[in-house]
Amino acid sequence: MNRAIAPICSLLLLLASCSSQSPSSKPGTSDASPSSSTTDALPIGVALAQTSNLALLGQESVNGAKIAEQFFRDRVKASGVPVRLVFQDAGGEEASAINAFQTLITKDKVIGIVGPSSSQQAFSADPIADRAKVPVIGPTNTAKGVPEIGPFIARVASPVTVLAPNSLQAALKLNPGINRVAVFYAQNDAFSQSETGIFQQAIKDKGLEIITIQKFQTTDTDFQTQAIAAINLKPDLMVISSLASDGANLVRQLRELGYKGLIVAGNGLNTPNIFPVCGVFCDGVLIAQAYSPEYASAMNKSFREAYTRQYKQDPPQFSAQGFTAVQVFVEALQALNQKSSVKNLSLAELRKALNDQILKGRYDTPLGEISFTSEGEVVQKQFYVAQIQVNSDGKSGRFALLK
Amino acid sequence: MSLTLLLQNILNGLSIGSIYAIFALGYTLVFSILGIINFAHGAVFTLGAYFTYFLMGGATGFNGLLANAKLPIALPFWVAMLVSGVFSGLVGIAIERLAFRPLRQRGADPLLTVVSSLGVALVIVNVIQYLVGAENYTFPAQTFGNLPPAVNFGTADNPIPIRTVQIVIFLVSVVVLAVLTYLINATKYGKAMRAVAEDPTTSSLLGIDTDRFIVLTFFVSSFLASIAGSLVGSSVSIAGPYFGIGFGLKGLAVIVLGGLGSIPGAVVGGLVIGLVEAFVPGEFSAYKDAVAFGLLFLTLLWRPRGLMGRKVIQKV
Repeated sequence: MNRAIAPICSLLLLLASCSSQSPSSKPGTSDASPSSSTTDALPIGVALAQTSNLALLGQESVNGAKIAEQFFRDRVKASGVPVRLVFQDAGGEEASAINAFQTLITKDKVIGIVGPSSSQQAFSADPIADRAKVPVIGPTNTAKGVPEIGPFIARVASPVTVLAPNSLQAALKLNPGINRVAVFYAQNDAFSQSETGIFQQAIKDKGLEIITIQKFQTTDTDFQTQAIAAINLKPDLMVISSLASDGANLVRQLRELGYKGLIVAGNGLNTPNIFPVCGVFCDGVLIAQAYSPEYASAMNKSFREAYTRQYKQDPPQFSAQGFTAVQVFVEALQALNQKSSVKNLSLAELRKALNDQILKGRYDTPLGEISFTSEGEVVQKQFYVAQIQVNSDGKSGRFALLK
Repeated sequence: MSLTLLLQNILNGLSIGSIYAIFALGYTLVFSILGIINFAHGAVFTLGAYFTYFLMGGATGFNGLLANAKLPIALPFWVAMLVSGVFSGLVGIAIERLAFRPLRQRGADPLLTVVSSLGVALVIVNVIQYLVGAENYTFPAQTFGNLPPAVNFGTADNPIPIRTVQIVIFLVSVVVLAVLTYLINATKYGKAMRAVAEDPTTSSLLGIDTDRFIVLTFFVSSFLASIAGSLVGSSVSIAGPYFGIGFGLKGLAVIVLGGLGSIPGAVVGGLVIGLVEAFVPGEFSAYKDAVAFGLLFLTLLWRPRGLMGRKVIQKV
């Protein structure tokens, strides 16, 4: 329904906005009858997947962004520039992400965009924002080459090059006898392809033998052919790069078919959403994380409390990254405003100045302290390796930090 | 290919194929009576899986309007699957009333019904997402009691493990197909349904309430979709509101391969496509659909009516 209605609505709204606006209008002034409370607040676009098979990932980031909106609204109420989030469904395809970006840029006149959900979409939608000189922060785009898309593109998701080898090291610590490794990856996903390359290089660097590489699709549900082919080769370790749903199903089927060794899963499985899929079979899986709810800092404590109050569970990584992306925009905007009032800037000037400020700043976030390289790559200090511990109900669990 | 892998692939193929067969039978029943494809069938398949999950006492996730809610009951899988089938059957009747009957009564082009059923499918899928979010939902680990997760058909040294759920799916599918075959071939209702399918006007003249049997057909069709959805859900979890869409397309391939409107054809088509897919190597899983549709293409070149389709005689 959304898919069918969204393009029609977008077209109507675009027509409406064309008839009433000049290109040099101030940010967020396109709404026909905005309430007085929202006209003053500067709009930040959030273009994440709320429908399609990416919705599982996108909804988590949206939840984090919503927590951030409330959190920083309270903080900047007294002094500072208020912001509001404008949500557009970026769907699961490249085209739907492009539509969402274009609507946010041309109709909503946002000062910056948080999104899209997947690296695959980022390679299509980010160039549009870059050409329009609108700063973009990718909350969950970890594939190689995303910040290099253009000077207005940054991300708060650490690249897989940093994360992947940590979990292999943890597996070797738990079982020093590991030698034969089976590798699985989703071949239709840019993130998984990028991650498996890093994993495979790390496996070779540690002197281990890759005995088989099994490929599948993120949309697959039956992995018995791949699982049996790998199990028959008697591996000591299995390494999986995938998204949440497919990877969790693969873990479940590997265990059901009798594999008892260690499993290292990539960052795509770093979400409590895998518990309903693999249940008790998730137990013991090792996952490298860019975020841990157990990370001790005042900011993470505040975020974790706000999230748990709202959603009755610990925040997953994608929510923390969604929160962080909004936080970076808000804090950079406040820093910019302290130098000189942003209200005196035109939209184009504000977007440019905001982008420069984002790349200069340091941010104390739930992910830990982060900053950016001049290309927009995140520089993050804390990383974690967790081992999944499933609760006795078989439906929930926790990512227990490995020290 | 080793004997182990061969046996595993055959058993996997039969399991997947039997699900395709049940699902495609729903398409076939409606097609045989109305001569049109019900594109909402895949959405009812999804809906049935969700109904079963909630009837088993499953809770909703933290997204959607009904976040963190659950029913005060927890039925065993088998009961939940059948009750879910009845609920889905009622949804099927509603679909017939809303999307098919008004157009049929106005003598609309069948193509319009295709569009209206597609619309219903989009509504169902998006309502599901609005209410319960896009999360995965998985049936409890003890869905089938205390059965082991896999059964070894080989020896301890040379194991041939098959997931128990696959065996259950195959056996349930065989039972469902047997019951349906009996209902259609050996009961008064079945004969009436076949008569309506053969010629609605003549059967109406002979005293058969055509509309009533069309409604019954939609009920049975949606019941079958729901059973298929519940069985697939028990095997691989409910992968969000969109997970029936792929099955919808595959079901189309099955009925065209088997022969449009042919009930044995749907069964044969389902098993053939299931077996062919099982033999596609894992690394080429992206091409499973291509193999299935390629097979369909070749079959249609050879037999344009499908494997078991009848030649339609145009009467002047």
